[in-house]
Amino acid sequence: MFRRLLIANRGEVAVRVARACRDLGISPVGVASESDFGARWLACMDDVVCLGPSAARDSYLRMERVVQAALQQGCAALHPGWGFLSENPRFAALCEHYGVTFVGPPSSAMEVMGRKAPAKAAMRAAGVPVIPGSVGLLTSVDEAAACARETGYPVILKADAGGGGRGMRKCFDEAQLRAAFVQASAEAESAFGSGALYLEKYLEGGRHIEVQVMADRFGACVHVGERECSVQRNHQKLVEESPSPVLDAPTRARIGGIAVRAAQSIGYVGAGTIEFLRADDGAIYFMEMNTRLQVEHGVSELVGGLDLVHLQLHVAANGRLALAQDDVRLSGSAIEVRINAEDPSHDFRPSPGTLAAFDFPLDRGPGTIRVDTHMQKGDAVSPHYDSLIAKVIAHAPTRAGAIETLLACLRQARVEGVATTLPLHLAVLDSREFRAGTYDTRSIPGWPASAR
Amino acid sequence: MSAEILYLRVRTEGEHVLLESPSVGLFTHAARNGTALVASARAGTLLTLGRAWELRVPDGVAGLVDGELHERVQAPVGYGTVLYRLRPLAGATTAASSDAAGVGSSAALLFRSPSAGRFWHRAAPGEPALASSGDVIEAGRAIGLVEVMKTFTLVHYQPTGGLPARARVVRVLVADGAEVAEQAALLELAPE
Repeated sequence: MFRRLLIANRGEVAVRVARACRDLGISPVGVASESDFGARWLACMDDVVCLGPSAARDSYLRMERVVQAALQQGCAALHPGWGFLSENPRFAALCEHYGVTFVGPPSSAMEVMGRKAPAKAAMRAAGVPVIPGSVGLLTSVDEAAACARETGYPVILKADAGGGGRGMRKCFDEAQLRAAFVQASAEAESAFGSGALYLEKYLEGGRHIEVQVMADRFGACVHVGERECSVQRNHQKLVEESPSPVLDAPTRARIGGIAVRAAQSIGYVGAGTIEFLRADDGAIYFMEMNTRLQVEHGVSELVGGLDLVHLQLHVAANGRLALAQDDVRLSGSAIEVRINAEDPSHDFRPSPGTLAAFDFPLDRGPGTIRVDTHMQKGDAVSPHYDSLIAKVIAHAPTRAGAIETLLACLRQARVEGVATTLPLHLAVLDSREFRAGTYDTRSIPGWPASAR
Repeated sequence: MSAEILYLRVRTEGEHVLLESPSVGLFTHAARNGTALVASARAGTLLTLGRAWELRVPDGVAGLVDGELHERVQAPVGYGTVLYRLRPLAGATTAASSDAAGVGSSAALLFRSPSAGRFWHRAAPGEPALASSGDVIEAGRAIGLVEVMKTFTLVHYQPTGGLPARARVVRVLVADGAEVAEQAALLELAPE
């Protein structure tokens, strides 16, 4: 196993990866921007390198500084987490070039799957059903308009390098498309360092269902079931659960098989997620592959009874997967809510500030509660980065039990000093629609549409 | 191979001036104790992934290196690591921080930021600025974007707090891409 590893990320994901490093006897080294340097969560690192000013593009996205930090700290490997440089094949290639093991797929596989247009082409070639739209990237707003006329409105613009809803815009006519194009491109440029966009037909509603895969360097690959992430706002996931309340066992096995074959066909290594759209008519389309660990990986860890970061590090260090598909036993139901520092009753306005209280009770039944966070009482929520401050995940033998456990925890949670999405989650979990499992991406169950 | 130039960062600490690393890398060729460092002076080399950057002293700095803080060959440093502590030279001026040019003291009409974040002049790189000096703006006119937690929101002119419904932009007070606090003055206005 690696002796020392650089975690090229911040906040909650950095803390999560550091925990796995400790479990396996690896010394974690952190990086920080100027404004994060000295933050309390960095105490879990053995060393920290300051990369640059607070803006992500001057610090966390500066790949040559990040790789240099790994080298001068004697790190044999680098874990990119999610977001930032995690899906940048040039970054993975730079790590490979300097002999630092990138914990993730080879840059060649990222090149295909990490960029969304080639990924779609590869899947189209492999016979996996894909959503109609632009073939390749859009070079101008006129090309986007021409493509949209052919596909038919509504359409959706997506950042080629994107994820998490950044740089995405839904457009119902050409005027909207032309206005959205520059904003989506600027947002993608700022968040991912690339403003390239592609376009596809916008399928109203439907459900977002994704399959977690894990592959080793020797061709073995398993899936760890699916996650349902249809509770969204502007393509930002708010609630994730596994299993999906809408899939039957044969469909689950079928999309699991498609996901594994898709990963194997491109020589994938490590943790990855194949995202599918299940349309209202039950048809399933490939949407994209995320070539990294996901924010919501904890949901799969709880139902699968395994640690995905351990497995990532194991296969990155040339270990073989000790699991065959039949060894992956999915048990019970897990539900995660993302606690964001945003005010859901004021159009999800970002709410940076200092946490006057921050406490989630862990002893509420009938199931168990896991809280993944980097924050504690007294910490400041930075205005510079993502608004996620905690993920609360409940696991119970039944879906009803998981809902009950999560509600019991959240009702007594205390987060003060910033506005959060807690009230929204209480409303969602308690809604008839969510309890029945009949929700979709069109609306947030239990939350008035005007608040979207 | 000719090295490219990077300027050191400057911070003051009492009467001392601190020169800090502007990047991550291996620091070599440090100026020795007692050396006078003035604007544009060479102050060592920073090696980042095999690429050498020549470190230079920025404008407005003049002082004598006061003690050696670092190993002088391939010392690993990060952004903000202190490389030199300078004793001021008699008669020299220290780095002046950029100030807000005295705005806000008079009875100037100021339009302020609705939230904290990063203020952008244009909707996309290459686009014209949404508001420039001389523009006449009215209620609802977009004058810039503010970026908070990676979300971009248009800032619209709101004639509240005694501002006129129609006004002329005297000047834009915040640089493109600069951080702003909530209620920071963005535009200086004159009645139209």
